[in-house]
Amino acid sequence: MIHSATSNDDELILDVDHVWKIYCRNLKRSMRYGVQDLGREVLGKGRDRTTSNLRPGEFCAVKDAHFQVRSGECVGMLGPNGAGKSSMLKMINGLIKPDSGSITIRGSVGAMIELGTGFNPVLSGRENIYINGSILGISKSEIDAKFEEVVEFAELGHVIDSPIMTYSTGMKMRLGFSIGANLRPKLLLIDEVLAVGDVGFRMKCFAHLRKLVEEGVCIILVTHAVAMLNRVATRSVVFDRGSIIHDGDLETGCVVYEETMGASDRVGNKGQSKAQPSATGVSIASVEVVDDNGDANKEFETGQDVVIKVEVSSDRAAKELNLVAALWSPVHGRIASMSTASQNVEFGVADDSTVTVTLRFKNVPLLLGAYHFNLSLYGPVSTDFHHRVTGIGNFRIVGPPTCSLGRGIDGMVKISHQWKIE
Amino acid sequence: MNSKISSNNIIRYSAESEVRNPVKLLGDIAKDAWSGRDLAWRLFLRNVRGMYRQTFLGLFWAFLPPIANTAVWIFLRQQGVFDTGEMTVNATLYILTGMILWQSFADAIQMPLKVLNQNKRMVSKLRFSREALIMLGIGEVFFDLAIRMLLLIPAFLWFGVSLSWALLLAPLTIVLMVLWGTGIGLLLMPIGALYQDVGRFLRLAIPFWMIITPIIYVAPDTFPGSLLVWLNPASPLLLLSRDLILVGGSSFWVPAILVGILTVPLFLLGVVVFRISIPVLVERMST
Repeated sequence: MIHSATSNDDELILDVDHVWKIYCRNLKRSMRYGVQDLGREVLGKGRDRTTSNLRPGEFCAVKDAHFQVRSGECVGMLGPNGAGKSSMLKMINGLIKPDSGSITIRGSVGAMIELGTGFNPVLSGRENIYINGSILGISKSEIDAKFEEVVEFAELGHVIDSPIMTYSTGMKMRLGFSIGANLRPKLLLIDEVLAVGDVGFRMKCFAHLRKLVEEGVCIILVTHAVAMLNRVATRSVVFDRGSIIHDGDLETGCVVYEETMGASDRVGNKGQSKAQPSATGVSIASVEVVDDNGDANKEFETGQDVVIKVEVSSDRAAKELNLVAALWSPVHGRIASMSTASQNVEFGVADDSTVTVTLRFKNVPLLLGAYHFNLSLYGPVSTDFHHRVTGIGNFRIVGPPTCSLGRGIDGMVKISHQWKIE
Repeated sequence: MNSKISSNNIIRYSAESEVRNPVKLLGDIAKDAWSGRDLAWRLFLRNVRGMYRQTFLGLFWAFLPPIANTAVWIFLRQQGVFDTGEMTVNATLYILTGMILWQSFADAIQMPLKVLNQNKRMVSKLRFSREALIMLGIGEVFFDLAIRMLLLIPAFLWFGVSLSWALLLAPLTIVLMVLWGTGIGLLLMPIGALYQDVGRFLRLAIPFWMIITPIIYVAPDTFPGSLLVWLNPASPLLLLSRDLILVGGSSFWVPAILVGILTVPLFLLGVVVFRISIPVLVERMST
């Protein structure tokens, strides 16, 4: 499973080469397969397995994943639950083996996963610093040298000789992070551990990670808190259903991730919208997102015009229709709702024909993210319901970059504003 | 462990089994065992310090099981409930020594599964020397054994036992006995981690196993009773160790040497199986 060699490529730290991981959800079968796999391992018959030789009940948790990380890069690994990112992280960390493909790491690996793993609750913070340090691969002499620094970073000097069981969860996390902060590997793996302590402590953590990146440490950071990512990450790898669907700049990755989250919210089979059948024969037939020139487009920048074209069809004549459009973000929820009735735009549709309703957003103020619509079609009164389609007309805002460090704009929308000193 | 890797080294993970390159595998085991020694020591201190800190009676709990067991068996013997055979040494010392050694053998067999279950969260989340867990487990078995052995000092003084030079050999045979039990436990661990049946079976079987091991009675030297020595893997090293401690000479040298010769290969095989099975087990661990 583990091979060692030398290489002259100084920049390449991690090479994930067409990696597959296969799991079985059925407990009994999983145990049986476990015995088979153990037998194969002991007999030296471990072999590459992909979709072509799945056993009954098995599925691919990671499919043909391929990416590389170079010195000084900080990569945010994103994806909804069950997308395969934790399995990928476990394989990079050497906890489990790939079923096919290979992972090559140049240099040492450190991991900040489950802060405080191995703490003994009845022992003091002081004793646990040494225990947790050893588990993370930090020697006693290194801990001796950094002990005061660890305690100071965690802001726990006043309780360091009290048993850990008397600490709050946040205090334990802070102590765990402070110990891990002494890791100086070539590749650092961080899994959902940045929600540590209060805002001030979190800022300290991000500052520490930025310093590591500047020193040339590679970081792979798994998190669902995408808003925090741009404080340290420069690139993103997005997983969905085991496959990498984006490997590139952080902003696009966050948007793709949000879109993925939205797709799963929308029931969507591969992001398809969900439409209820029309009971009255009057329905929303299609929705298209176009740009200012009328060309189909799904990617925009803040401040551009976004146009939604909704085609309403009917097999009978219908008058005084009211189209309600609710704009949604998978992260923030419902952003705004608007209707034709609110602007006194009256429309109807003739027998067995269609009509196109256009909704234009001038200088759209939305910031980076993925968005979609839920559309409802009513008659003259709200009880006169015709049709509803959810999760449709999806588009992305892909620029300009936002900044969560307090040096630019951030959040959901760009609001026109002006600062003034008096 | 990771901090020890040279920056020029490349680690590569693939589907290929480590067993395909046995020389390198043994080298990696030795390297990881060496790099994991500090971790094993830290975890050992953690467990020992934590074990009795929340108790009132402290270390007394380590002494209690062999004292209680011996007291019960001595009482039953005095009541004539069972026949121990003709003993050449004091019965209390004979049973107490046997009990202490048996407890360590039983601990060694159950240790790999226990140490894995106790550290499941760590094993499934963090990469560290897996060999450190084996060292930790063996360390705990020896620590408990040493504590219990302290009981023999007042017992020897009380019963006026004279010590022989053969006693110096006893540590070696006891170490072999613990490694023998650990080797069996390491081979059982992977299946035991997947199927709880193994752990349940061990808990059920060990008291019966103790009964068929000549601990509370003298080992029969005629067929078929002698099979309790020759076919029982627990007997040879345990009985030899007890004889070396109490008597000086022993009639169990031949079976004990046979088991002793097998001990090191069995233990190493167990370590290999333990190491290569961990990734397969981590895949199936819920923490």
